[in-house]
Order: sequence, then structure tokens, then C-alpha cells
Amino acid sequence: MMEFSRRRLLQTGGLVGTALLSSGLAGTAFSRIAAAADDPLYAAAKKEGALTLYWGSYEQQTMEAIRDAFKATYPGIEVNLLRQASQTVYTRLRMELQGGVNECDSLGTTNLLHYTELKKVGALAPFEPADAVNLPDAFRGLDPDKMYHVGAISLTSINYAPGKVPTPPASWQALLEDQWHGKITTGSPAFSGDVANWVVAIRRKYGDDFLRAFGKQKPKVGQSNVDTVTDILAGERVVGSGAPFSYTLTQKAAGNPIDVVAPSDDAILNLGVTGILAKAPHPNAARLFTNFLYSKEVSLILQKNYWPTLRKDVAWAEGRSLDKLKWTRNTGDDLGPEVAEGIAKWKEYVR
Amino acid sequence: MGVISTESPGRTPGVAARPATARVPLVKAVAVGIVALLLLLLVVQPFGWVLYNSFHDDVSGAWTLGNYARIVQSADLFEPLVNSLILAVATAVIAVGVGVPLAWLVSRTDMPFRRTIRVLTLTAFVTPSFIGATGWILLAAPNSGWLNALWRIIAGAEAGPLLNIYSMAGAIFICGLYTVPYSFTMVSSALDEMAVELEDAATTLGSGTLRTMLSITIPLATPAVIASFILSFIQGLTLFGVPAFLLTPTGIPVVTTKLAEFYQQFPPEIFLAAAYCMPLLLVTAMLFRMRRRILGRKQYVTISGKTRAGRLIRLGGARWPAFFAALLMPLFSVFLPYAALLLVSLTRAWGQGLTWENLSLHWYWWALFGNSETSTAIVNSLVYSTLGATLCVALGTVVAYFVERRVVPGAGILGAVATVPIIVPGIVLSVGFFAAYTRAPLNLYGTPMLLIAAFAATFLPIAYAHGGAILKGIGPELERAARSLGAGEGKAFLSITVPLMGGGLVSGWFLVFIPIIRELSVAVFLITPKTNVMTTLIYNAKDGGNYEAVCAMSVLLLLLTLLLVAAARPLTRLLSARRTSRKAADTAGVFPA
Repeated sequence: MMEFSRRRLLQTGGLVGTALLSSGLAGTAFSRIAAAADDPLYAAAKKEGALTLYWGSYEQQTMEAIRDAFKATYPGIEVNLLRQASQTVYTRLRMELQGGVNECDSLGTTNLLHYTELKKVGALAPFEPADAVNLPDAFRGLDPDKMYHVGAISLTSINYAPGKVPTPPASWQALLEDQWHGKITTGSPAFSGDVANWVVAIRRKYGDDFLRAFGKQKPKVGQSNVDTVTDILAGERVVGSGAPFSYTLTQKAAGNPIDVVAPSDDAILNLGVTGILAKAPHPNAARLFTNFLYSKEVSLILQKNYWPTLRKDVAWAEGRSLDKLKWTRNTGDDLGPEVAEGIAKWKEYVR
Repeated sequence: MGVISTESPGRTPGVAARPATARVPLVKAVAVGIVALLLLLLVVQPFGWVLYNSFHDDVSGAWTLGNYARIVQSADLFEPLVNSLILAVATAVIAVGVGVPLAWLVSRTDMPFRRTIRVLTLTAFVTPSFIGATGWILLAAPNSGWLNALWRIIAGAEAGPLLNIYSMAGAIFICGLYTVPYSFTMVSSALDEMAVELEDAATTLGSGTLRTMLSITIPLATPAVIASFILSFIQGLTLFGVPAFLLTPTGIPVVTTKLAEFYQQFPPEIFLAAAYCMPLLLVTAMLFRMRRRILGRKQYVTISGKTRAGRLIRLGGARWPAFFAALLMPLFSVFLPYAALLLVSLTRAWGQGLTWENLSLHWYWWALFGNSETSTAIVNSLVYSTLGATLCVALGTVVAYFVERRVVPGAGILGAVATVPIIVPGIVLSVGFFAAYTRAPLNLYGTPMLLIAAFAATFLPIAYAHGGAILKGIGPELERAARSLGAGEGKAFLSITVPLMGGGLVSGWFLVFIPIIRELSVAVFLITPKTNVMTTLIYNAKDGGNYEAVCAMSVLLLLLTLLLVAAARPLTRLLSARRTSRKAADTAGVFPA
């Protein structure tokens, strides 16, 4: 096993290296690694020796790549990664806090509400990651008190089977056309945060009439919106609504017959958020990791895995970028009740 | 307990009659004390937390009856309960209706390839039902299912789907299919250990094969049949994967999918979820009461002082038809779904379909070596399952012995306690274990012991029910003989009862080991980065939509467990008292094989 992990490390290093060279960034990266040795934060983190991540943002593969890159850049810090669904790690953390257990250093989940809640009970520690200046402007300074930050950007869109659908629906509205009756697959807002976000956005845009019409299309409702890809690849349905943008592209890159459309009436953007726990056993390692998220290394990993990057100066895979698509994000302080209402309406009209 | 009491060993006259027995109560007291303490820590404490939580408000944390009030008042919460009951009853009926005749064919008749059928049925047991459901989605989804595609070739392209797995019937079929191994294993081990005097008597009096089976053999196995019915019923209530995959698309909510919603939403309603389990507990308690009324004071003892080995019933012309009928079970539960899973796991990108260029062992390589987490998880899964199953069977058997032999007054309470965990769906139990084991007196958080203890506790009811079913068939005469020759109660148990239970204990061990290795929900809040297990990784891959990886890891999990089962076969034979005596009888030429 030793050998394989070493090989894997070399592989990852190699990939990152190649990518860096090709983007002409090698110089800065090497100086960065060299600089790491003098970094007082790194020294303090190294003294702590370990880091525990509770992360639900990004799927296992991408998250492991980020972890491995961190370990390669900052040797001497053991990283424990608990990668489970966002709501699961949050529930776990909540129980730990209630039981007085302090294990987690850095939390990364797909739901902003987790952080407003944790902030309210004083469970988060403020930190200003220096490299966050490279984030797209729209996502900087998420919390004025610097308790939490953007950890991931994800897009909800439409996906389809290219061989079976010559002209895919170009917008959410187009999904209501007769030709898609019985052809649509989607996730359930009761199980999937992305679909819940989609329901909120669609209701803000088009009201309950859309949901009513959508229900008449007899979509197949799975749990997670990842199921849309499964249904399309299996041939059970041909068009996916509320579908995961990055994941669909990963599957396309793997050679599967599937593609995405960014709807002309806005892809729904959801922010993954991250924060450092107030009672983190390894606070400096957590700070180091949070700042590392905004490094070029991580954005290149994200690029490779078809995720939106966390830096303005690193383009997404296939030359995509935030400026080139129309998107919207659900904002507001009262999202919680709105989500609950959306789920209730969904059950009334779609289920 | 110094004298042989032929009526009730529970009444203990003349304890002080012989001085030698003075140490017996001490041993007994210590044993009972240890068992009670273990049950307290493993079951009462976690379940106590679930109960405690159910009376608290999720937001304010204050005492409340509100959770229960909501369950009673809200139709949205009532409907899933009804659906779950329908699913559970149907599952139990299928499991017993198929499992019992299958067990009889395999254990008591000369049907060909009996051992193969036994192994294949175990294979179905190894399969987590959500993986079986995944296989069946590939086979019987209305538009894309391969069997439906085949049907359209026969019936014409315009024909509607032959099968629709996304339906209540589909869910019942899958739940039943993957629960059959429970009833099969429990009943077949009862039949394996059963002696044949009564069957011989029936045959002598002119009763035919079928009549003997229906009027003697199966009734004698009643304790095992009922225990497996109840276990299957509980399976139907507590399974999450199958309804989540198959019933969500049709909009039929059941208790477990509703529970998942409570955990999924923000803020999570975990205290409401705890209260939501209590109706399940009530229904199951009623089942156990019914069991007591049915079994009552009837006798099921077949192994006693003067026993003879079992003998196979000749099926004659029905041998092969019986074999083909028995083959249906592995066909539906193993061959068809695993063929689908295997094909997907062998493709580089499964959406491309089956072409030579697309065939690859990539995902197996990835699962074994390409992913640094998997090897740790495999080792963890094996270690935790082995230790958990051993602890579980040891404790379950001793509790069953206390209850069956009424070793102490009130032993029934120990039995009732040992039955509780399995009724509570895994995800809620996980919260209970979390609360119980992250604080004094048993702070195990982050250690392997946490998972081992939780697994042992979760499946204690299986070990207990299985142990009880076997013990009902073993007469106390031999133990009494040992006692009258001066053996202590502990020694009689270890040197008489345990060997007589022999093969049954081994099958009981697997009956616990396999569910542990495939358990997911209980582990959810208990694993840590260092104590991760195989199923959580498979679930992560499913969560991330990595279908080929899910299939490859499922096939690996299956192979690994089968290897273990195969390795344990010689052990089973070694430990099986009945087989030994059968072999001795064979050698003596008493019974032609």
C-alpha cells in the first residue's frame, strides 16, 4: 500500500506540475512551496501536526486530490478527512458541539444556513484568508465578520442525452413544452439541497405555476440530482432538470454520452461555504488549509475535475467561466422558511 | 439448582442442600451481572437517549410531547407509517413463504445441488439490499430495463413495460427477495439440528412425505419460523435503501425515507425522528406478544438424551423440479442483478454500452489501489465485523440461555432488552449510540470500539432470536445429566449446551457478521476518518454518482464475504454436533448417505 500511495502522490504531483507548467505558472508555484517553509502560519500548523476536515462540498475524488495537494505543499501535517454528505457532517458537528466534543477543525458544506446558525451560537472563529483576494468579486467577503468563506461554487443546470435529443431544452421554461412530457428526470428537494435551491429560484422567477406545469410533465423524481445522470446514461429518461453541472461534465469527459445546457433563464448558483471552528483543536492548520483553498494549486485541481474555480485568474475547464453564462443565486436572510415552503409546494404539485 | 427438577428449572428448591453448590450462585450471579451490565451499556443507554430525545424539542431543546402530537395529528406523517406496515407484512410473508420451503428442501431432502443452493442463498444474504435494488433498476426500470428491452423485442416496440421496479410491488419484491436468507438460515439451522424420531413415527404410521413435512417437521421448526417472520417484518420496516431507490420516484413515502428527510432538512429534526420510531417499536412489541401466545407452553424439544441423526427424505421424481424451483431464488437475487452490476463494473464509462473498447478492469484497480481510503476501509470492515459478530453472538446466546432455561427470575426482561435495537432504524440508532458513547461512563468516540459496540448492539436481536430458536430444540436433560454428575451450571452450559448448539452458533455468527459488514446507517455518525468502513465508501461513491465504482466495490464486497464464508465452512463442519453424529452413524452403516 505504501508503494501505491507514493505512486499516487507522485502522480498527483506530476499532474499539478504539468498543469502549472502549461499555464505558465511554474515559477510562482515553486517559489510558493519554497516560501511555505518560512511561513509562520505553516510553522505553527506544523507544530499542531494534524488537521481534521469535515467536508461535504466536492465529491470524494476532488476532495482527496485537494487533501493530497495540501499534504504535498505542507509536509508534516497529517490530514484526517471525513467526507460525507453536507447535511450529515453538519448534523454530526452539531451533536459533537452539544456533547462537548471538539474534533473538527474545518467544516465545508453546501448550505449557508449551517454557518449563520453556527455563528449565532458562537461556534465559529474569525479568519481572513489572504489569498481570498483572488476570488471572483461577487463572492468575496461573504460574512462581514469573516466567520465563514466561500469554499465551493456549484451550478444547477439542465443535462441531456445528445444522441437521443437533437435540440435540448435551452431554458427552464422550455422544459414545459409537450415534447418533454414523460422524458424528464430530476432530484427531490426533500433529499437534495441543489434541487431545493432550484425550487426556491424557480418559484421566485415564475411562481407556483411553473411547479404545477412541471408536475404535469410527469418527471421521474429520484433522491439526489446526481440520479439525473444515472437515468440519462441508463436511458430511462433523456433530459435532466435541476441537474449538477460539474458532475455531468465529469461524466461526459469520462466518455459517457451526456452533456449540459446552461439555461438561458439562468443557471442556479449555490455556494459551498467553509468555516473554522472556534474550539478547533488545530486552529493554525485550519487557517492554513482555508487559505490554501484559494491557491492556484486548488483551482487547477478544480479545473481538472470540472468544478468552477475559486480564482479569477484560473479559467474553468474547457474555457468556461462565470462571465460567460447567465446565473442567479438565492440570497436573503430568510431562506430557511422559503426552502420549507418550496418543498411543501413541490409535494403538492409535483410528487 | 442443586437437584434435577424435571418441571421448572426456574424454581430453585434446595439450593443449600449440597455444600458444593455454594459456588454456583456466585458464578451465576457474576454471569448475570456481566450480562446485565453489558446490556445496560450496549442497549439500554443508547436506546435511553433515543427515548429521551423523542421527548425534546429540536429547536429549543426543552421537554415536550409535541413530537408525538405531530405524529398523531399530521396526515403527512401518518401515511408513511401505513405504507411501511404494508411493506413489512408483505416482506415477511414472502421471506417465510419462500425461505421455509427452501430450507426444508436443502436441509431435509435429497434434492440435487443442495449445498450449491445453500451457498447461493447466502450470497443473496451478503448483498446489501440497496445494491440488489441497483441491479434490479438496471434490469426492470420501465423504459431502460434490460428485461423490458427484451420484452419489447418479443412483444413489439410499442408494448408497455413488462415490469416496473419503481412501484410498491417492486419494492416488496426486492425487500422480500433479500430477506429470504434470514428465514432460510434460521429455519434450515433448526432443521439441520432436528432429530427425526417424530418424523420416523409419522412415516411408520403411514404418513407420506408431504404430510410428514407439514404436520411434523415444519411445526417442530415453529420457533425458528416465527422468529424469522418477526425479523423479516422488522427488516421490511427498517430498510432504507430499497424504498429510497424504488419508492421515491413513485412518491410513496415510508418511515425510513421520511426519517431521511428529517435529517436532510435544515434545521434537522432528529428529536422528531426519534419519536417517529416509537410506533414501530409498539407494533413489533405486539408481534412478540403474539409469538408468546402462539408458542405458549408447547414443546419443541427434539434433541434429547437418546437422539438419532437426521436422515434425508427421498423426493423421487420431484427431485429435479424441486431443484429448478429452488434455483429461482438465486436467479432473481444473485445471478440477474449481479450480471447487471458486473457488466457495469467492467466498463470504463457505462453510458457507452458494451463494446470491446469500453471494457476495462479500471474500476477494480481503482477500488483496490487507486483510492487510498479503500484498503483501510476493507481492513476496518473485516475487523469490526468479526469482533462485533463474536461479541454479539456470545452475548445473544447467553441471554437466550438465561431466558430459555429461566436461569434467573425476570430473565425475560433481559430478553426483551436484547430485542429492542433492531426495531429502531439505523440512522436514529446511530444518534443514540453517538449520545451514549461520547460521554462517561463509556467514552469511545473516535475509537474502533465505538463501531464494534454499536454493531454488536444493533444486531443483538438476531443473535438472541437465533440462539433462542436453537435452544428451544435442545432438551435440558443432557444439561441436567451433567449437573447431576457434579458439573456447575457454567460448565454444563459450556460443555453440553454450546457443543449441542454447535453448527447453529456458527450459522448464527454469519447471520450477524454479514449484516454488520453490509450495514450503513448505524455507522453514519460513528465513523471517523480513521475508522471508516466499506459501506460508507460505497455510499459516498453512489452519492457522487460514480456508478461504475459502486458496482465494482459491491462485487468486491460480495467476493470478500463469500471467501470468508468458504473459509469458515470447515469450521462449521467441525463444530456441528449433529453432523458429527451423522458422520458417526454413516461410518457405522446405520444410515446410507
